[in-house]
Amino acid sequence: MPKFGLTMTEGLLTEWHVAPGAAFRAGDMLFTVETEKVANEIEAEADGTLAEILVQAGETVPVGTPVARLASGVAAPPPMAAAPAEVASGKDTLDSPAARKLMAEHGLDRDAVAPTGRDGRVMKEDVLRLIATPLARRLAEAGGVDLSSVEGSGPRGRIKARDVEAAAQAVPARAPSPALPDVTEIVPDATRRATAARVSAAKRDIPHFYLTHEADMAALARLRAELNAEGHGQKISVTHMLIRALGLALEEMPQMNRIWAGDRILAFAHADIGMVAETPDGLRIPVVRDAGGTSLDAVAAQAGALAERARNGRLTPSDVGGGVISISNVGMFGASSLTPIINPPNAMILGVGAERSLFRPDADGAPALRRELTLTLACDHRVIDGADAARFLSAVVALLETPLRLLRPARKPA
Amino acid sequence: MAETRYIKAVNQALKDAMRDDPTVFLIGEDVGAAGGSFKATRDLLDLYGPERVYDAPIAEAAITGIAVGAALTGMKPVAEIMFMDFITLSMDMLVNQAAKARSMFGGQGSVPMVLRTPHGGGLNAGPQHSQCLEAWLAHVPGLKVVVPSNPADAYSLLRAAIDDPDPVIVVENKALYAMKGEMPETPEKIEIGKARIARAGRDATVVAYGAAVGMAEAAAEVMAAEGVEVEVIDLRSVQPWDEACVLESLSRTHNLVVVHEAVEAFGVGAEIAARMADIGFDELDGPIVRVGAPFAPSPFGKTLEEAYRPNADRIVAALRRTLA
Repeated sequence: MPKFGLTMTEGLLTEWHVAPGAAFRAGDMLFTVETEKVANEIEAEADGTLAEILVQAGETVPVGTPVARLASGVAAPPPMAAAPAEVASGKDTLDSPAARKLMAEHGLDRDAVAPTGRDGRVMKEDVLRLIATPLARRLAEAGGVDLSSVEGSGPRGRIKARDVEAAAQAVPARAPSPALPDVTEIVPDATRRATAARVSAAKRDIPHFYLTHEADMAALARLRAELNAEGHGQKISVTHMLIRALGLALEEMPQMNRIWAGDRILAFAHADIGMVAETPDGLRIPVVRDAGGTSLDAVAAQAGALAERARNGRLTPSDVGGGVISISNVGMFGASSLTPIINPPNAMILGVGAERSLFRPDADGAPALRRELTLTLACDHRVIDGADAARFLSAVVALLETPLRLLRPARKPA
Repeated sequence: MAETRYIKAVNQALKDAMRDDPTVFLIGEDVGAAGGSFKATRDLLDLYGPERVYDAPIAEAAITGIAVGAALTGMKPVAEIMFMDFITLSMDMLVNQAAKARSMFGGQGSVPMVLRTPHGGGLNAGPQHSQCLEAWLAHVPGLKVVVPSNPADAYSLLRAAIDDPDPVIVVENKALYAMKGEMPETPEKIEIGKARIARAGRDATVVAYGAAVGMAEAAAEVMAAEGVEVEVIDLRSVQPWDEACVLESLSRTHNLVVVHEAVEAFGVGAEIAARMADIGFDELDGPIVRVGAPFAPSPFGKTLEEAYRPNADRIVAALRRTLA
């Protein structure tokens, strides 16, 4: 399983384009991996023959997992998926190849596995064997708990009754679904399942907090009209200006250009801004690169091209991934605001509502008509604190309300 | 309730049985004039006379053979073998005669004899005077084997053995002879084959018999201080043994340790562990762990013997293993 981003840990193999036993040429599509809200087509780097598929379509496996075996004698390693099995366990061992592969994949110490094969060979079953006490097995069966998902606390990871009980409490038994005649059960497709798993994990694992700020759009609307009146190059949209504003704000506040990566924090040199896009294959998030260091026109050109490819389902792996923030704009549907879920590994997402006309008291307390946009910033509290987030959102709003700054380079960070 | 010693409870049981049943008689080395090597038969010669208390020569095969023959002809002999180590010489009479008579005579005869004998170490008596050989006897269909762990049980189990119509080996423990314990005014009637819950607990079961019961109770005290409640079962009888009681306890605690003073290999614990691994399989939440003596002759020296005999520490270690 290739790795497409700094924090990618696993990928969903959605489709094989080559059948076992079939030969392929360099450049042929081998398989498709879905992750980071994009489908990545993996091409063969050289000619070869597919000997055996190890990861079936529909399976999600950790990065680095061998997904297939190529026929020997044909040098064509799949991209980045160098089989670690051969490296980790010497070729002189008599252990079964499948067992060697499994041990290497899961970082298992061979001495910890009890061999059952002839002459002390470790067999595949020895590695796969799930160690659980008889009582734990009985409780798991009675409670509908999948033992393979239970972590054992006993010696050498043995699953004990207490582990099953803890797991059963964590996952309450599914209520029996009443037989409703007007309800249809739909089996979700791979995309839906991947999205469901991803957003569940994001909402569960990321401690979100939210800030909302209105932006006066009068000056921005005037500037946009003037820029677009010139009539050459990519038309500038509000989203382009928002992306540019986020890019500048990140350049000027580098402490916000960071993500939480489990055991460390990753700081980025450039401000890459994702934009959530609807595509025929579901939601995708193409990323505008270096939105802080380039010009508004360049941002608009990049965003336009990305949106085009997204609409046609032609996003490439390099179009997605990276960056700390994405924009999700639901303004075109009339919704006044959106409180979005952060797209891992991002640390932020900006929910953008529809532009609205409303009366605000002016300096004298008299009603004044204004055009406003509601911005809702969701932040990962593991890496961002509230005050910084508020300063960041204020800076973005200030850029939008004095929009000529969008045409200038970023100021040096304070 | 009055306090008594284990050896006095044995003496009392013999005295009462002889009082209640004129067919009960004693035979063994030094049981008469000397009152027994451990004083189990003290005063009984004076009370019941030489016709009911026979001093035998040093001839264990003869002592046992006379008991088997007397039992077949309607008497209730209680033979004493001074040390269980010498039971090797009684084996033919026990295994080929006493154990088989009921079956071979189509149920028309039985052998209502008792053979009392002390096992166990702790007295630095060395390899030929310390052995626990009850597993040999428990392996033979037709023999019953009881092992009392305290004075009250020593009384009640001996009375039950004398009343039993079949050959019963009463295995006493030398190290327990001086043990003090409460003796009820009306002694409990014990059914051979029924175990006793010596201490109730919910987290692990320790099955023991004889001197190992006290060790298990001490281990349970140690574990209780850590919040682990250990149930201690005193088997009382190793043949037949109370499978139902052990299974019931295991079904509550899900962890099992079996302890005996005898050598661990091929012992009574192996039978209990194997049986529970079978009928109690789905109840187990840890390995069944045995605690017994190592596979070596019992040493003479005090420190070596202390290292050899099971103790509370080793039971605690076994409990930690199964509960890990």
